[in-house]
Amino acid sequence: MHLFSRMVRNLAVVLVLLMALWAMLFYYAMVDEIRDEADDSLEHYSSMIISRVLAGREFPQIGDGSNNSYVIKPVSVEYASQHSHLTYHDENFYIAEKGEEEPARVITSIFSDNEGQYYELRVATPTFEKDDLFGAVAIWIVVLYVGLLFIVLIVTALIFYRNMRPMYELLNWLDSYNPGCKIKPLPDMSRIREFRKLGDALQRAIDRSEELFSRQAQFIGDASHELQTPLAIIGNRLEWLMNSESLSQQEAAELYKINQTLSRAVRLNKTLLLLTKIDNHQFPKSSDVDIVDQVKECVESYGEVFESRGISFEMDLPEQYVVHINESLASTLVSNLIKNTYIHAPENSSAKVEICSGVLTVSNAGDAALNADHVFDRFYKSSKQHTSTGLGLALVAAVCRYYDMPLEYEFNQGRHLFKVKL
Amino acid sequence: MKVLIIEDDPSLREIMSRVLKQEGYVVEVATTFAEADSKVAGFSYDCILLDIMLPDGNGLHLLEHIRALGKRENVIIVSARDSLEDKVYGLENGADDYLPKPFHTAELVARVRSVLRRGRTAGELALSMGNVVLRPDSRSVQVAGEPLALLKKEFDILLYFMQRPHHMVDKTVLAEAVWGDYADDADNFQFVYAQIKNLRRKLSQAHATIEISAVYGFGYKLSEKEE
Repeated sequence: MHLFSRMVRNLAVVLVLLMALWAMLFYYAMVDEIRDEADDSLEHYSSMIISRVLAGREFPQIGDGSNNSYVIKPVSVEYASQHSHLTYHDENFYIAEKGEEEPARVITSIFSDNEGQYYELRVATPTFEKDDLFGAVAIWIVVLYVGLLFIVLIVTALIFYRNMRPMYELLNWLDSYNPGCKIKPLPDMSRIREFRKLGDALQRAIDRSEELFSRQAQFIGDASHELQTPLAIIGNRLEWLMNSESLSQQEAAELYKINQTLSRAVRLNKTLLLLTKIDNHQFPKSSDVDIVDQVKECVESYGEVFESRGISFEMDLPEQYVVHINESLASTLVSNLIKNTYIHAPENSSAKVEICSGVLTVSNAGDAALNADHVFDRFYKSSKQHTSTGLGLALVAAVCRYYDMPLEYEFNQGRHLFKVKL
Repeated sequence: MKVLIIEDDPSLREIMSRVLKQEGYVVEVATTFAEADSKVAGFSYDCILLDIMLPDGNGLHLLEHIRALGKRENVIIVSARDSLEDKVYGLENGADDYLPKPFHTAELVARVRSVLRRGRTAGELALSMGNVVLRPDSRSVQVAGEPLALLKKEFDILLYFMQRPHHMVDKTVLAEAVWGDYADDADNFQFVYAQIKNLRRKLSQAHATIEISAVYGFGYKLSEKEE
C-alpha cells in the first residue's frame, strides 16, 4: 500500500472518531448553556412578576414582546408546604395568546404575600425557539466538522508531499540504479537532516557495492586472462601429440576427447572474458548499426547448420533497422539469440526472427516453459544440454543491460520467445 | 627463415619453438623485455612473435622500438588480453597480425607463413599446393590453370586447409573456424561431412594433385597425393 494513502486513511479514521466525539461534547455543552440561559431569563421574569405582586402593582401584559406567558393562582398553605418553592420542568403549556397547548419550559414558584397568602406562579416559554437553536447549532457543528476534516486531510497531504519529496527523489534514483552501470548523482538531500543521513548511508552502500562489483569483474577478468596461457600450452601440446605418426587409433581417440573438452574450457573462458568486458564497459565506441543486416548475415552463415537439423528458419524483417550500438556487441546480441534457437529447437521444427515496432523477437518451438527468473543467469542450463556453455543468454542479458534495452522471455503456445526492445 | 619468439612462459615458449622448428624455421627465443630488446637491436629476423605481457615491460613498447630502429621485421602480437584496443594499437603501430591466446599450433604456423609470404611476395597472396592455386582476395581457385567453381563454404574450408598444409585439422576446430563457435554442439557434424565430401569430389574431378584425407576419424589433413 502506498505510504501516502495509508497515512491519509489512518489519519482519516482517527480524525473521524476524535472529531465526532469532540462535536458531540461541544453540542451538549452548547445545549446545556442555552438551557441554562433560558432558565435564567425565566427566573428573572418570574421574580419581576413576584416583586410586582408584592409591591401591589399591575401584572405585566402578556405579549409584551417576550414569548413568555404566565399563570398565577392562590394556593393553600398545605399545598405550599408540600411543594418545592422553585421548580423547572418541561411540559405542555396552554398559551393563551395562541389558544392552544405547546411544549414549553415552565418555572413554578410558590411565594406568599404580606398577608400570608400563598400564590403559585407558573411562567412558561415555548421550547420551539430553543429547539430551533439546537438544530442550528447541530447543523453548524456538522458542517464545520466535515469542513475541518477535509481541510486537515488536505493540509496534511500537502505537507506530507512537500516534506517527503526528497524521499521520492531518492526512491526514483534507486529505481534507476543498476549495478555496474553509470550512476546518476544522488539527489540533493541537504535540506533535511534525516534525509541527508539516509542519502549519505545510501551513497556509502552504493559505493561499497560498486567497488565489490568492479572488484569481482576485475577478478573474473584477471583469472580468465591468466588461464589463457596455460590453456594455450595444453592445446598446443595436445596438437603436437595428435600430429605424431606413432599414435595408435585408441590413443588418438582419447586425445581427441581431451581436446574437445579443452576447447569447451577455452570457449567458456573466452565467453567469461567477454562478459567481464561488457560489465566493465570496455566497448565504448558506438556507431549506427543496421540490425537487419546483422540478422541476415547471421542467419545466412548459420543456414547450413539449421538445415542439418531440419530446422526451418523464418524471417520477418523491415528494410532496415538502425540502432546506435557497438558493432561487435550488436553481433554478440544477435548471434547468441539465433544460436540459442539452434541449440534448443527440436529437430524438424521451426524458428523465427522478426523485428516489429522496435522489438526484436527470436522464437523457436519448445516443450515446456523455462524458468523466466533464471533463464538469463550465467550457467543456467535446462537439463537436456550438455555441451553448451550456458553463457549465451547471459551474454545477451549483459549487452541489453549495457544499453538499457528491456529483455523479456516468455513461453507462448509451445514457443519460446525472446524479446529485445531495441 | 629466422623467427624470434618473445614469450615469458617457458612451456609455451618451448612448444611454440618446437612447432616452428618442425616447419623448418630457424627459431630463437627471448624471455624478457630486456633480452628481446637487445636481440632485436643486434640481429635481424624474418618474423617476431611478440607476447605483449612481459614481466619487465609492455611488448607494445618493444614494437615501438623496432619501428624506431627502422627495421622491417614482420611482427605478430601474441596476447592473452584479447582486447580490441591492444589489437588496434598494435596493428596501427606496425604489427602485421594479432593472435589471441589460446591458439592452435596450426593457426600459429598459418599466421607465420602468411605474414612471411606477404612480406616476400609484396601483396601477392596466392596459396599454392600441388597443381592447385587459391587466391583469397579474388576468392578464386585454379587447378592446373583451369578455374574450379566452389561454393562459399567449400572455398572457406579449402582456404583453411591450404593455410595449414600437412597439419591435422580437428573437425571441431574446422567447424568453429568456418561456421562459428556454435557448430560443435552435440554430435552434429553432418554438415561438415557433407561439405568435405563435396569438396573432395570436386577436387578429384578436376584432377587436383592434392587431397583431404580423414585422420583417425576425428580430423582431416590436406596433403599432396602420392603418385
